[in-house]
Amino acid sequence: MSASSSPGTRAPSGTNLRALSDDLAGAVERAGRSVVAIHARPRIPASGIYWRDGVVVAASHTIRKEQDIAVTLADGTRAQAQLVGRDGGTDIAVLRFDSAPTAKALTLADRAADDALRVGSLVLAVGRPGDGGVTASLGVISTVGERWRTWSGGEIDRFVRLDLAVYDGFSGGALVDAEGSVLGVNCSALARGTPLTIPNATVERVVDALLTRGHVARAYLGVAMQPVRLTRSLAERLKLSETAGGVLVVMVESDSPADRGGLLVGDVIISADGHDMAEPQDVAELLGAERVGGKLELRVVRGGELKNLSLTVGERGQAGDARRRGARS
Amino acid sequence: MTSALAVALAESPLHASVAAELEDLAARLRRITVRIHTSGGRYDGVGAGVLWPATSGRLVVTNEHVLPPRRGDAAFVESVDRSVIEARVVARDRDHDLALVSLPDLPDAWLAPATIGDARAIRVGEIVVALGHPFGVGGALSLGVVHAAPNGDDALLAADIRLAPGNSGGPLATLDGAVVGINCMIARGLGIAISSQVVARFVSEAMTEP
Repeated sequence: MSASSSPGTRAPSGTNLRALSDDLAGAVERAGRSVVAIHARPRIPASGIYWRDGVVVAASHTIRKEQDIAVTLADGTRAQAQLVGRDGGTDIAVLRFDSAPTAKALTLADRAADDALRVGSLVLAVGRPGDGGVTASLGVISTVGERWRTWSGGEIDRFVRLDLAVYDGFSGGALVDAEGSVLGVNCSALARGTPLTIPNATVERVVDALLTRGHVARAYLGVAMQPVRLTRSLAERLKLSETAGGVLVVMVESDSPADRGGLLVGDVIISADGHDMAEPQDVAELLGAERVGGKLELRVVRGGELKNLSLTVGERGQAGDARRRGARS
Repeated sequence: MTSALAVALAESPLHASVAAELEDLAARLRRITVRIHTSGGRYDGVGAGVLWPATSGRLVVTNEHVLPPRRGDAAFVESVDRSVIEARVVARDRDHDLALVSLPDLPDAWLAPATIGDARAIRVGEIVVALGHPFGVGGALSLGVVHAAPNGDDALLAADIRLAPGNSGGPLATLDGAVVGINCMIARGLGIAISSQVVARFVSEAMTEP
């Protein structure tokens, strides 16, 4: 029997595929030094990334306990960590080690620049679904889109969809390029199982918020809405365009910013801060975290007449998150 | 993923050299990979097998589930040139899903025993290929990466690679063409192979038994 070429040796020139293979294995090795396994749910552990000194980033949906979470480090040893905070909107959770691991056991993730996300580039999903070592799958970035809002209200800087297979340990693991630099945190729970990556910039923003405040601020009005079209005669009478539409308020939560601002069930919001509103999503898009405490000027149709309302944007409570999902803002 | 990679490679100036590497690799693996018919019928029980190097005898390794005991010990083995010879199962290992087939009438023209690699030296992320007959398609090559390294006595190698029925018993190989495993199943989308050292142990034990 003859053995295969020893690992780690560089392929001779002219064997480009072998050189790529070496690069990919090297990238996994490098990234693997920053990827941990998090034992915070029954059965299969999830992955996490060593993001800052003493701080690990994970996928929130994989964290089912908050205290004394066992974490398998890159060298196979275990350490203990506590949950610092989580943001269901972006599915990011932050854990802090009880005592920071040594550089030998775990190294901080080397992060790629944000413009490194390119459609078609070869990428690896690196995870650690337990004590058995690091795992990898190969694919390409299939979409790099604009800023988007998840179904649970989180704001993510770029929509990054992947064309690769999702295995155990994918969520919370690292998306890495052929050099082993981290492009983002992988997650399969934000878009019906589609493999996505939360880009570094979003992770940084959420980690900052969770470390300083323990939660991510999100603007909140306390209304449920649905799109409606106005009749032509009403549009003409109110001197609106013929195709005018708006969003119908179908529910106002008691004592919410919308309630205090005088918004009523049955009002049709036709504009907000001067922008036409046609879908509930249009309202949601005006409600970034920076709006909390600020004014939102609404133009509504009530009883066939135009009316202007001024609302003070509130902050969404953490406990109510699960009940306030969907088209409500 | 495989098709997307193909597109990426086709647009790359490296394409010609990479394609040549893969063509050469596929040709080498086709010479060591046979097709196994268990009942003589064309598509009834088609699997793959690897011409395994041995000091004595002419041998093919495949999966036990390709040649289950209930079908008897006779097997029909087809080479890359489509000639078929009759062979006999000489050993089975149900626990590791391995079977050893002896081909006393193996023509010399077939003799191109596999180069065996060390599955313990394989690196996660390294490119690997599989050759087999997925859904009866002969001599098909698939490409992927090592998903998880076998650690300790772990007999199984997991690869992020697309396999299908018909790949069973075929080789999982490095880019050097060294066989590091025998493909045996698909688990949650992962290609699972029995690592080469387990196969080698099975073969040597089978050959020393009286």
